[in-house]
Amino acid sequence: MATAKDLRTLGDREVVALAKAGKEAAYRELLSRYERPVFSLIYRMVRDRALAEDLSQETFIKVLNALDSYRPEYKFSSWIFKIANNAAIDQLRKRELDTLSLDGAPGARTADEIEATALQATDRGESPLAELESRELGSEIEQAIGKLRPEYRTAILLRHVEGRAYEEIADVMDLPLGTVKTYIHRARLELREYLAHLRT
Amino acid sequence: MDKQLDAGDLELAVLRELTALRSFAPSRGFSDLVMARVRLPQPAAVVLFRRAGAWVMQPRRAVALATAYAASVAIALRLTLPWLGAHAPALKLGASWLGTQVSALFNSVILTAADWAVRSGAADAVRAVASSGKVWPALAALSIGYAVGGYGFYALLKTPGRSDALVRS
Repeated sequence: MATAKDLRTLGDREVVALAKAGKEAAYRELLSRYERPVFSLIYRMVRDRALAEDLSQETFIKVLNALDSYRPEYKFSSWIFKIANNAAIDQLRKRELDTLSLDGAPGARTADEIEATALQATDRGESPLAELESRELGSEIEQAIGKLRPEYRTAILLRHVEGRAYEEIADVMDLPLGTVKTYIHRARLELREYLAHLRT
Repeated sequence: MDKQLDAGDLELAVLRELTALRSFAPSRGFSDLVMARVRLPQPAAVVLFRRAGAWVMQPRRAVALATAYAASVAIALRLTLPWLGAHAPALKLGASWLGTQVSALFNSVILTAADWAVRSGAADAVRAVASSGKVWPALAALSIGYAVGGYGFYALLKTPGRSDALVRS
């Protein structure tokens, strides 16, 4: 029987096969592998921590309860990111949260609401000065990402934050490869425009 | 890093900062909350039995199946009763022979068990317990043993409930 340590050395497909066989530890391994990437993607999309938690939960429940329908010829990560992205996009369409800033959701009125809906750019193990400068630019970028169209936001987050290949992003977004490249290119251009005030 | 950047630096800085953006973690207990709502796969036979049970228990299907069952029994009786009537003497003889055989087998088993009880000393042990006046404690111990065994068997077979699941709510 595979232990949690053994599971960490296996690929997604093997872990999914063990989960399909009813191993609870394999389910938990999939959760531990993807809870941060999925939550981060959804959080940066909807900009509301509580909502992001709910949507992430729904994503995992949907995925883990439908493992039987998972086809091993596709990447598991593409599948879970696709479901997470669809959940976030649906929510954005419902609540029109696609133009939120780093300072919190537009519906946030009280200080608590603003704090709860604001993204925090924090420590990456740098020196205090470098951290301060980096946090400043990081905050600017978080703010700029929040201004992007949801499609551009998904593409740029998957490419540069999650480090996914163009082909995988095309799978996740159900778009042709060329369109994904265009989205990422335009997203970078828009980010540069939003951050133009930092230029000399 | 100087906040005033030229165009090339800005491009590089944006890409670098994008790659270095932190990942966010959901709150503690997130995985337990998810696992509490995930259905772990069960053996195929159990799933099949449950699906069949659910299918059968649909009101219209249950009525249809009960009707089909009653009809098949009526047809079977309609076909077999005349045949049974025509072969009654032979069947009676066969049943009598079968009864004799079963009775002989039963007697043989009883005699073998009694022989074993006498030879192994079990009968003497029971007699000793009865004569020593400890028959009630022995019967009580036996009853408790049966009850504990029965409960253990039930606990072994019962389906784990929500309170038994290895997740925190």
